[in-house]
Amino acid sequence: MGKYAIGEFEEIVMLTVAVLYDNAYGITIKEEIENRLDRTVSVGAMRTALKRLEKKGFLRSAFGEATAVRGGKRKRFYKVTPYGKHALEQVMETRQRLWKAIPSIAFDFKKT
Amino acid sequence: MTTPSPIVPPQLPLRFLRWFCDPDLLEDVEGDLNELYQRRMSVNPTKARRLYYRDVMLLFRPGIIRNVTFSFTNPSDMLQHHLLTALRHALRYKGYTLLNLLGLIVGITASILLLLWIRDEVSMDQFHTKSDRIYQVWRNMYQSSGEVITTQAIPQPLAFVLDNEYPEIEAVTVLSWSMPLLFRHEEEFSYESGRFASPEFFRIFSFPILLGNPETVLQNPQGVLISESLALKYFGTHWRTEVLDQTFQIDDTQTFAVTGVFQDPGIHSSLQFDWLLPADYFIQQNEWMESWHNGGFNIYFTLRQDADIAAVQSKVTHEINEHTNFAADERLYLQKFAENYLYSTFENGIPTEGRLQYVKILSMVALFILLIACVNYMNLATARAGKRSKEIGLRKTLGAAKRSLSLQFFTESFLLAFLSVIAALLAAKLALPFFNHITGKSLTLDLFHPHVWMGMAGITILTGFLAGSYPALLIPSFPVVNALKGTIKHSEASQLFRNGLVIFQFALSMLLIIGTLVISQQIYYILHKHLGLDKENLIYVDLSGELSRQADSYKTQLQQIPEVKQVTFTSGNPLDYHRSTGSADWQGKDPNESVEINVLNVDTDFFETMGVELLQGRAFSEFMTTDTSHYIINEVTADLIGFDDPIGQDFSIWGNQGKIIGMVRNFHMSSLYEPFEPLVLRYDPRSTSVAFIRTQHNVQAALQGVEKITKKMNPAYPFQYNFLDQTYENTYRNEIALGTLVKIFAAVSMFIACLGLLGLSSYAADQRSKEISVRKVHGAHVLQLMMMLCRKYALLLGIAFVIAAPTAYYCTQQWLDNFVFRIHPDPALFLLAGVMAFLIGMLTISFKSYQAANVNPVQKLRNE
Repeated sequence: MGKYAIGEFEEIVMLTVAVLYDNAYGITIKEEIENRLDRTVSVGAMRTALKRLEKKGFLRSAFGEATAVRGGKRKRFYKVTPYGKHALEQVMETRQRLWKAIPSIAFDFKKT
Repeated sequence: MTTPSPIVPPQLPLRFLRWFCDPDLLEDVEGDLNELYQRRMSVNPTKARRLYYRDVMLLFRPGIIRNVTFSFTNPSDMLQHHLLTALRHALRYKGYTLLNLLGLIVGITASILLLLWIRDEVSMDQFHTKSDRIYQVWRNMYQSSGEVITTQAIPQPLAFVLDNEYPEIEAVTVLSWSMPLLFRHEEEFSYESGRFASPEFFRIFSFPILLGNPETVLQNPQGVLISESLALKYFGTHWRTEVLDQTFQIDDTQTFAVTGVFQDPGIHSSLQFDWLLPADYFIQQNEWMESWHNGGFNIYFTLRQDADIAAVQSKVTHEINEHTNFAADERLYLQKFAENYLYSTFENGIPTEGRLQYVKILSMVALFILLIACVNYMNLATARAGKRSKEIGLRKTLGAAKRSLSLQFFTESFLLAFLSVIAALLAAKLALPFFNHITGKSLTLDLFHPHVWMGMAGITILTGFLAGSYPALLIPSFPVVNALKGTIKHSEASQLFRNGLVIFQFALSMLLIIGTLVISQQIYYILHKHLGLDKENLIYVDLSGELSRQADSYKTQLQQIPEVKQVTFTSGNPLDYHRSTGSADWQGKDPNESVEINVLNVDTDFFETMGVELLQGRAFSEFMTTDTSHYIINEVTADLIGFDDPIGQDFSIWGNQGKIIGMVRNFHMSSLYEPFEPLVLRYDPRSTSVAFIRTQHNVQAALQGVEKITKKMNPAYPFQYNFLDQTYENTYRNEIALGTLVKIFAAVSMFIACLGLLGLSSYAADQRSKEISVRKVHGAHVLQLMMMLCRKYALLLGIAFVIAAPTAYYCTQQWLDNFVFRIHPDPALFLLAGVMAFLIGMLTISFKSYQAANVNPVQKLRNE
């Protein structure tokens, strides 16, 4: 997908981070994906995706406050960077161009 | 920090997570997991735990796992520093360093020598390029008694059958036993040992040929191949240009031309020969070889690459039986040639360990000694850790991590190991000639060979790691405050462990000492057992050339030498005699029974000269002309034929009917690994080939007399003689070498263990010096103090003995079981070994204890 190498799962993670806006950290992202997309996400898979995305510069993160429920550990909140937004738009545009290019007859299954 | 949550997640996976997780990620990952766990706990606690485990396992993946680079701030500087302190420390405590180094050097030297020996043993016969496909045929003769006699003498026709009827077999060769033949080239002559071989020999074995065409060299029926050293001997250094087509007269009968020269088989070949002649020539001369009923040459073959040896084995098993109409039960067994050497002993027709046992024993010894040396180091290093507690405490206060401290101790142990290995290499190099002398090998140690370097690196790492592991684990875990105060109390566990190590060391040493005693007793037994004949002061000479033609005259002349007591001519050396027949017959013999009976041809002087005791009947007499068809048997044969009184019974061999006129006491005709064998003596002076000469008074004079007469009568042949007792001793060379080796290495292990004990006891005495002084001031006697210091070690040595004795009993029984004729070691022997080790140990300890107890108490108490 062009110069932005984003996998399907990574795209979902980024979009979810954007959806959650102010409250995007490990657990919420995981639960949001599970609720919206009806699929289970392991902590491990999500963690690696987040780390990779941050390394690519699509996400940035900052520590929040520690809470008792987290055993005194701080949350790490994620935000989509402008670069990340650009990448997401690029992916969407590519998709749309492809959709538009499909001749209507291709999806007309009644005739065959 | 907020207060920790009341609900704590499972610790084990958490610790695992903390260990592997990238520190950058750890905080929020752990937080996430914790939060998840809290939520899940409110739903289903067991499931929450399970999921926690699962999540942690799933997190163990690249991207989450921390980078595995060592994050020393400056590894090379640290290492330099560690080396420096190690060196300083070593130089500061010279005595202690010396003890450690000495132990390690001696231990490693011993291990290097043993490793060389083992490598040499294991590489025997492995140099043939097809060695994984070369097989030898063995013949198992099942006796009616249930015994199985195994031989490599195979009926000659089998070679043709294997060659023609077995598609699985690539090539077959026949090879004779090693025999000395008289080689004569112009003026020079001497006996040379070699073998007859068929042309395929060089297709199977990879003995390098230096001159001549390997395809054709053995095909020329008038050709002989000689070894490089033989070529050098007869044709000088320029043999390469001169040797081809030169002729040898062999055994004074036929002339052979040299068709090629092969490289000497070398020390890694179990097949030894200085010449090869075409097998066909020998077979033509000896027609009996062509029968299925007679054993002949050895047979070797190569299997095709894709063939299955099991199939060939099942097909070949009954080849002899089928071709001889089951005249006797003889089955064939195939064994990989390369395994012959280590699995050389056959038991019930199946190869057993044989030499492999020696390889195993000595491997264990090598390992034991190395272990004992490493244990020394461990013990001394941990015991003396107290001395260094301030250093360790200070390092810790300044922020040294445990890992860095461990590394320091490993650096020390590796440094010492490295130095010891270098010193040991040199020591081994120096000791090698002596070691070769004992083992009868020609081992070499090339200091610059890559294998040696690899081996040495291996030993360094092994020793460094073994020796350093315990101190490196234990010492860094001392509590900082105690360490700084210098009040390190060794924990119960660490003291127990150290005591355990001492016990372990001494148990191993005692094991070796007991082994030594048992082995040397058995060897003494072998060499001094009465064999049924008197083997001392007996010279024997082969009856070759004129000697055989003028046997009577030779005998008379020999008897006239004043130093010669008696002379007898026989058909072979009775102590190593394997010429048997299955044709013996007697009244009442079960026709289906097959028995191999040895047949020895003798003259009338046999019994007196050899000291063989006649139990019943009478000896052969030259005045009774019929005696040539009569027989004298031994006790085993008497049991076999089963008459209450065998004297006067009919007996026949090869169809020659006669009577049994006497019975002799059993004497050993093969090694003490084997039981007595049945024997029949025939009076047939014409068919003898060896002269046995019993000397008296001056052996040298007798020998000179024999030489003079022999050379005069038989000038065309070189004079060769042997002493019977020496020949006998030579057959037990391996056992004697094993005995010497184990003896030396038992001493070495004892020495190293004592070094360790010396170190430990001096340290203990040192630590308790104040206590000793106070006791002394209060009137304690030197002896009492010594007792106090020695008591603990006495107990340890006692325990070591309790462990070592039964183990040693078991091990030595295993070895002794190989022998049919063996000693049954006395329990006192074990006690003796224990007491010896105990005394040596106690002497070592009391040496230091005495010094400690004898010190003037003022000196120790003054500086409080």
